[in-house]
This record gives sequence, C-alpha cells and structure tokens, in this order.
Amino acid sequence: MDARLRRVNKEISDCKGDKSSSIRIDLIDNSPFHLKGSFPGPKDTPYEGGTFEVDIVIPESYPFQPVKMKFITKVYHPNVSSASGAICLDILKDAWSPVLTLKSTLLSLQSLLCSPEPNDPQDAEVAKHYTTSKRSFDETARYWTQVYAGGAGSRTKLDVKEPLKDEVAIAGLEKAHVDQFEGLGFERSKVIDVLRRLNYRGANVAKISEDRVVEELLK
Amino acid sequence: MSSDYDYSDEDADYYDDEDEDMMSTEEDGKHAPPPPGSAPSDDEMDMDDFRVPQRAVRKAYEVEHEPLPQSAVEKLMSADVEHISGIFGVEASTAALLLRNMNWNKERLIEKYMDNASGVSVAAGISIPSRKSLSPSLAGPERSQSASSSARSGGLRRPIRQTPVPTPKPEPFVCPICYDDSQTAFSALACDHKFCAGCWNAYATSKIREEGEHAIRCMAEGCALITPDSFVRTTLAEDTATWERFNELLVRHFVASNPSLKYCPYPSCTFTVMCSAAASRSSLTTIVPTVSCGASVNPPHTFCFGCPIEVDHRPVICGVAKMWLRKCRDDSETANWIKSNTKECAKCQSTIEKNGGCNHMTCKKCKHEFCWVCMGPWSEHGTAWYSCNRYDEKAGIDARDAQSKSRASLERYLHYYNRWANHEQSAKLSVELYTKTEKKMEEMQITSDLTWIEVQFMKKAVDEVEKCRMTLKWTYAMAYYLEKGNQKELFEDNQRDLERAVEDLSELLESSIDTEAISTLRQKVTDKTVYVSKRNEIMLDDTAKGFQEGRWTWNVSVEGFD
Repeated sequence: MDARLRRVNKEISDCKGDKSSSIRIDLIDNSPFHLKGSFPGPKDTPYEGGTFEVDIVIPESYPFQPVKMKFITKVYHPNVSSASGAICLDILKDAWSPVLTLKSTLLSLQSLLCSPEPNDPQDAEVAKHYTTSKRSFDETARYWTQVYAGGAGSRTKLDVKEPLKDEVAIAGLEKAHVDQFEGLGFERSKVIDVLRRLNYRGANVAKISEDRVVEELLK
Repeated sequence: MSSDYDYSDEDADYYDDEDEDMMSTEEDGKHAPPPPGSAPSDDEMDMDDFRVPQRAVRKAYEVEHEPLPQSAVEKLMSADVEHISGIFGVEASTAALLLRNMNWNKERLIEKYMDNASGVSVAAGISIPSRKSLSPSLAGPERSQSASSSARSGGLRRPIRQTPVPTPKPEPFVCPICYDDSQTAFSALACDHKFCAGCWNAYATSKIREEGEHAIRCMAEGCALITPDSFVRTTLAEDTATWERFNELLVRHFVASNPSLKYCPYPSCTFTVMCSAAASRSSLTTIVPTVSCGASVNPPHTFCFGCPIEVDHRPVICGVAKMWLRKCRDDSETANWIKSNTKECAKCQSTIEKNGGCNHMTCKKCKHEFCWVCMGPWSEHGTAWYSCNRYDEKAGIDARDAQSKSRASLERYLHYYNRWANHEQSAKLSVELYTKTEKKMEEMQITSDLTWIEVQFMKKAVDEVEKCRMTLKWTYAMAYYLEKGNQKELFEDNQRDLERAVEDLSELLESSIDTEAISTLRQKVTDKTVYVSKRNEIMLDDTAKGFQEGRWTWNVSVEGFD
C-alpha cells in the first residue's frame, strides 16, 4: 500500500479513536488527501466557545513535506489572514518535521490562537490592531468568534442588535467615529474601509487628525 | 567518500603537495619528495604548468584565473576536509559537517573548535546538546519512547556513528512516520531517533530534490542533528542521480562560501572559476576580472568574476559599468532614446533605420551620404580628420548659453549613450552580417580560385569587428565618467583610433565584391583586421594599466575609490 495513504488512514483512524481529544478530522470528499480538521477555541481567549474549521490538503510528498492548512472559519488573529484564512506558522513551513501529525499540527494551531505572534504577522491590519489596542482587538476577535465560529449564545445576542452595527464591530471600530465621518456626507462602507486601513482605533485615534481621514476619504 | 573520486596520479600529487605546504611550516614548506619512479624534473615542470598557465604571455587586461570542473572543486573540498580531520582527529564526514557549518572558514573553525569543541559540534549538528540544556519541550511525543535508548548511547563528545546502524534483530518497532510494521531496516543518528530506511530515503530525496538543501536534519521534531555524507549515501541507496545532485549542492555551497571561487552563471553549466586576484572588493578598482569557465563550448562562457553583469565589460571596471547600466536603465526611457533608434536624413528629412554595421550611411531617397553617429556629411570624414567620437565641449558651452544646464547634461549623456547604443545595435546586427558574409564567402569561392580555407579571412574580420565593437561600447561608458584632462584626451585618442579602424574595416566588409579585385580586397581586409586587433589591444592594455597605476580620475564618486 502507498506509504502516504497508509499513514493518513492511520492518522484519521487514530484521531477518530481518541475520544478524549477535542480534535476532529473529517473527509471533505472521497479523497483521504483533502480533509477538514476542527477544534474548539481555547479557554480564556476571545476564541472560547467557537469551533474552528481548517482545510487540510495532503501534498504528494507528505509526510516529508508539510501539510497545507488554512482556516475555513474566518478568524480575527494576527497570524491568520482575515480574508483568505492563510496561516503563518513555522511548522507549516521550514520547521516541519515528518514526525508531526495532522493532529499535532491542529493542536499547534489551537495553541497559536492562545499566543499570537504580532511581530510575525500574516495580516498586517489585524496585527496593527492587536498591538495598538489589545482590548479593542479582543472585542473584535470575540465578535468574529460569535458570528463566524458559532460562539456560545451568539445567535440570540445577534438578533437584538441592529444590522449596521455588525460591520462596525467586525472592523473593530467605534460606532461614534463611523457616525462622525458618515455625518460629513461620506458613504458608510467607505468610512469603515478607510478607518480600518488607517487603524483608527484606541490610542491611534488621537494620533490621526480628522483632516487626514477626510483626505483619505476623498481619494 | 574518497572512494567515489577517481584521482589521476598527477593531480593527486598536486594536492598532496599543497597539503604539505600548509602543514609543515617548520620544514620551511619543503616539497614532498616526488613519488618513486617518476623523474623529478618532469614532475616539477608539470606542476608549474598546471599552476600558472601562460604566465609569460598574460596581458595587462587579462586576469589570471583557473577554470575548475566540478571534480576539481570536490578535490579542493576534500583537501580542506582532510586537513581539518587531521588536525582534530575526527572522521572525514564529521570534519565536513564542521566546515560547512562555518562556511568553510578553516581559521575560524580551528579557533572556535579549540575554544569549545562540544559547542561547535552541537552547532554543526554533529552531537546532541548536553543533557541539562536539553529542554523537555524539545522532546516531542515520539522522542519520549526513545528516551531510554538515547540514554544508552550516552557519550556526548563521542563522534557520531558514521554508518547507519541497522538494528541487528528486528525488534517490535514501528517506524513513527510510515506506521509500517513490516519494515525491518532502521537507522538513526547519534540522537537515536530511529526511522525506517524507506522514510529516510523519501525524506532525503525530498530535501535534496525539492528544496535543494544539503544540510539534512534528523526527522525528529526539533532535533538539530545533521546527516553526514556517508549516511546520505547509504540512505539514497541506488539513487545515484539524487546523490549527484547532493554533491552538486555541496559544491555550490563551497563555491559560494569562498570569495576566490565563482560558479559559471550560464544555465546548467557546472564549471567553477578560481580567480584569487579578484577575491576582494578593493581589487575590483584596479582590474576587470573577465573570465571563461573552461567548459568546451563555442562561444566560451565568458563572464565577469567581480559583478553580476554576464558579459565581458572590459575595459571598464565593475563599479563604473554598474553605474552606467543603472543610469541607462533609469534615464533612457525617454523620447530621446526612442528617437535614437531611428534618425532623419539631414537633407530630405526621411526617417532612416540603420540595418547594418557601418556608420557610413547613404540615404535611399536623396542619396545624401552622411555619418550615422554625428549626422554630418560623410565627405568630412573618410580619410580626413575623424573627430566623431568626442563630445564637442564648445558645442556644450553654446548649448548651455542657449538652454538650461540640465538640458546640456542630458545632451552630454545622450552623446555617450547614442554611441554606446550604436555599437550595441551594430553588434546585435552582426548575426545578419554573418549570414551576409557567409554568402559572400561562397560567392568568392565560385567566382575566384580561392579555396574555403582562403576565404576564412572574411569570417575572421567579422569576429574581430564584433569584438572591437564590444570594447568600443564600454569605452563610451568609461568616457562618460572620466574627469576632463590630459588622461581623458589620451583615452579618447585611443578610442578614436580604434573606432576609425573598426568603421573602415566594417565598411570594407559591407562593400560589394568586385571579382577582379578579390585578391586586393583580401589583402586589405587581412591587413585591416590585424590593425584593428592591434588597436583593440592597445585600448584594452592602456586602460588596464591606467587602472593599475591609478591614472584615471572620475567626475563622480565611484564605488571603492573613496
């Protein structure tokens, strides 16, 4: 039997057999080389309560070359692209070792959620948000967890919120700021876009003049 | 490892001899006695020939260099390895790993190794760090199962096992990578992380083939041990292609680490050039290290040892050539440049594109004869005073009066650039000229009683013209940056003489053949070819000597001159 197939089969069945672990690996289609991993968000983090799904592609030369993993679930995290779900983690690149398994790699992803590395970011905007205002970042991350990762009680809370607030909160911005510039006659979506790009959050608000924002808005 | 190389006796003598020189300082570097059976004088002569090829005939503009095929570089590597292995009393593969980790810097390695042998060994991936610094986090889940066995292997300073150790009796052990319980052959490095032969093979192949990596680490997570060459050899088993690739990677690393070596930049060429004269950056202000790699191809792989420009840019030194190319890239995307590919006839204003090498133009429409370079009428050139290669300073003053200063400097630049581009263009058109010349050569063989070998003078002349155009091209880059003064005047005199000779010869080659006068033509072309080649030599020689004597001064600051 093909060594790669044997190894992947064993890994999948080991993971299924291990009832104590919270990590799951499922088939996406009929191929054992395209899988879906999932794990719960770690406790005491903004990701708590969510379930995070990861797209797994086993390359031809696995396990001698690293697996390809990216988040299916949208995650607000400095080392994960907020647009594509691409992950910046050393063991998925040059620190890969053939003894690592799908399960151990997923565990590493789980611990990456606990300890972000904003100095080696995948998503520069999110990393900026993280370093300038950790509290505001946490709020946004928690909000994303509720909206995208099915965090506890998210649905009921969402229902009472006005739909427009979502955009603002997802971008990690203050509603007052968005309203302020919208009041000047700019489109709301554009305001959110520009403010997010300028990192108009926390302590940064004082550093960025309103003229600068308007200038960007007029571009 | 040494069994893989097939030394010829003579070459082996050479390297042995070199070794002796390095090791026996007390003996005043006396040569080892020649091997019994060979006449001493012969041996001595052979060696001298090998070391300094054509010492006597080397010209000022040529640089001493030695082409090395991959096997010769491998010999240099193994000489270093043997040297280190002799001093430290370690095995050759261990010495090789130590050297690679230090980027082949022997002196630094010896110093550091004497200072802290175990630290250096750990850094080079030869031995595992001592127990106390081995943090538990390093040990993955797989590591714990072999913890007891790694305790057995103990000895920290112990050199690593040189051969993979197939477990004598297949104990119930499942390879932690492929989970195949039918495997019987396992091997491990000094860290005792055991994996089956199939996995090692697939891993090493993937590292070498896909990543181009020569330092192959142990497969265990976080383990920093590196597989020695003998281990790689055994692991790759029958796969000699990958083994060869591995050796090529080692050679590339060695060459990259050694400033007096450079890999031939031509695609898929495996030759290396050794050029000690151009090893330091400061040497590049006095020499232009144009080298050939020694691969038997036509035309030979010629490149510059000192910079990434992959052509012969003599007589200009690397720093100036680089500056000029950058300037051309930045400034030449102008309408002026685009204009310079075509010109208008000075008389009838019809647009003309030059499609041959000669600068003597005749307008198709009005038959006006003019010089392509200065656009002046050709009657003023010819045998008379040819002053076309100089930027007319008086005209420059007038231009400054009339226009702004920047305009003048642009014109000055374009003056040199146009002449530079001209020669480049002409050289590019030489392919066409070649086919034309070939036709003419055939014609000559038919119409006259000249044989094939006798008409080769045409081809020779075309080659010479192309070579000289390359030199001329770069002289304009040089002249642009040369400070005004006597030296520059002399330089431009040489440049003018060469240019005139080249244009004369070029025109002769383009002219139609008169059956009657073939023998005269032949004589003329042959004479001119010799003359042109002489002028080219003078140009190159004088410029090269100027660099060595520090005669040239620049109108800008040039890298390495301040």
